[in-house]
Amino acid sequence: MGIVDNLLKLLVIAFVGLIYLPAVLVVILSFNQSSAIAFPLTGLTLDWYVKKPVGYEYAALVSLLYDWGFWDALRNSVTNSLAVAALTAVIVTSSALALRHRVRGRDQLFYLILLGFIVPGVTLGLGSTILYSVLHMEYSFWSVVLINVVYTVPFGLILMMSRFDPDLVEYERAASTLRAAPISVFRRITAPLIRWEIISATIFGFLLSWGELIRTGFMLKGTPVLSVYVYTQLSVNPLTPKFYAMGTLISAVSFVGLVILGFLLSRGAGGQR
Amino acid sequence: MLPGLATSVLGVIIPLLILVPVSFYKFRFPTVIPEFTLTNYVGYIFSAQTASILLNTFGLSGLTCFLAFLIGYPVAYTLTFKIRNAVLKTYIISLLMVPFLIDWSIRTVAWISVLGVHGFINYMLSSAGIEPIRLLLSPVSLYVIWLQTYTLFMMFPIYLAMQRIDPDYIRAAQVLRASPRRVQYDIIFKLSMPGIVTGFAFVFVSTLGDYVTPSLWAGGIQTLGLSIASYAGNYLWPQASAMSMIMLVMTLVVMYLLVTVGKIKKLLYER
Repeated sequence: MGIVDNLLKLLVIAFVGLIYLPAVLVVILSFNQSSAIAFPLTGLTLDWYVKKPVGYEYAALVSLLYDWGFWDALRNSVTNSLAVAALTAVIVTSSALALRHRVRGRDQLFYLILLGFIVPGVTLGLGSTILYSVLHMEYSFWSVVLINVVYTVPFGLILMMSRFDPDLVEYERAASTLRAAPISVFRRITAPLIRWEIISATIFGFLLSWGELIRTGFMLKGTPVLSVYVYTQLSVNPLTPKFYAMGTLISAVSFVGLVILGFLLSRGAGGQR
Repeated sequence: MLPGLATSVLGVIIPLLILVPVSFYKFRFPTVIPEFTLTNYVGYIFSAQTASILLNTFGLSGLTCFLAFLIGYPVAYTLTFKIRNAVLKTYIISLLMVPFLIDWSIRTVAWISVLGVHGFINYMLSSAGIEPIRLLLSPVSLYVIWLQTYTLFMMFPIYLAMQRIDPDYIRAAQVLRASPRRVQYDIIFKLSMPGIVTGFAFVFVSTLGDYVTPSLWAGGIQTLGLSIASYAGNYLWPQASAMSMIMLVMTLVVMYLLVTVGKIKKLLYER
């Protein structure tokens, strides 16, 4: 069995390696001197990040620091993802807590929420587009937030519920039996026990909406969010290391978020199993 | 309970329901006319490309599911049974999420650096004296990108299912001298079945709804999602809605499988 075990561990390492290879190459190539996405590198430079443009250059050649559209989209993405994260946290926590109890309609609620993830993005995008047009409503900040929340909540719910302490209900029941008011049961028993799960769901909601394009693309108007900006820029411009510099910066946010998430989740994992 | 209900109804149910009437409406340039017609359906079903588009769509998504299973199952198995350190396990799972969370377009164009004519693989090949090969703009690149993104959706539900297998079952089988192969198949594989079904469903619907990746990298292969997106982009809403109905029916089938075979609620609550 020893050989099989090692082969299996090798497979996990190979898998992690494979899915990271493009990300690592993106970072390396964002420092390439030549404007081609090609190996070998012609030299290392920070030009794609900070070089001051000399005149009217192609958008694909302007460095990241001087690409105003990028910074507008970044600001837009941050506010958008923060709103999505906050809403995700509230909806996921309230739904997850409700789903633990044997109330009527529990399964139906769960399937309904799950539907937000199961429905293909393109179908939901089309339906929302038509709905806004029928109601004569303009796309707004909140339409982007809503279509993202519908998608992030099922993920957050699965993440949170798969990690709930099975004895949580017992603790709550004990507190209620001792005549604690519902609000103080939540504040003093439930919330402290699930706070890491709440924070994890919040971070996950932020990260999911940070990179989402398929659904968000349908709700496009005015200043785009990052994913839409990158997509439209790439459809009209040749690919240069500038876009890899952009990717490095955007992905750095995701990566930092995930390291924090891993840290938070492993805090809980230490106690269980 | 209320916030979850409200968002789902507002954000999912109503937008989907509105597709039903629109799919029966007429389209006369440049607007939609609310008069009943079946032409959107009839025209689509009898169109020459429809069969091949549907076949492509199922073929691409189906094979991606299967490949994701071939990778995801052993990875989930290793994480559950071979790695004892809980903290390490959590970090590995978090790290596996990264590619999924990287920006959509960046994740796709990142593969140019690996698969492109001047990319990493061809650079390695040419250093070894081998002619460059075309990897991008072909189904190969589509599968690679989809697998990088969605294998996680296969692995995670299987992992959840395996976590719930009582180690006593395995020990009991071993005491009763079951062969390792029977332990693997009769206990671990069969008890992971809900997770496997859930994984197939998750990967299938995700690839079904992703029209951006095929539009960029499939090398001109048409899929159902792509058709819907291009019709929707040209404001041909009735036709796009009719096509969406096909997708919705498939979604409901998937949902039905999740509830009955996958027993998805057992993965998360109802211990």
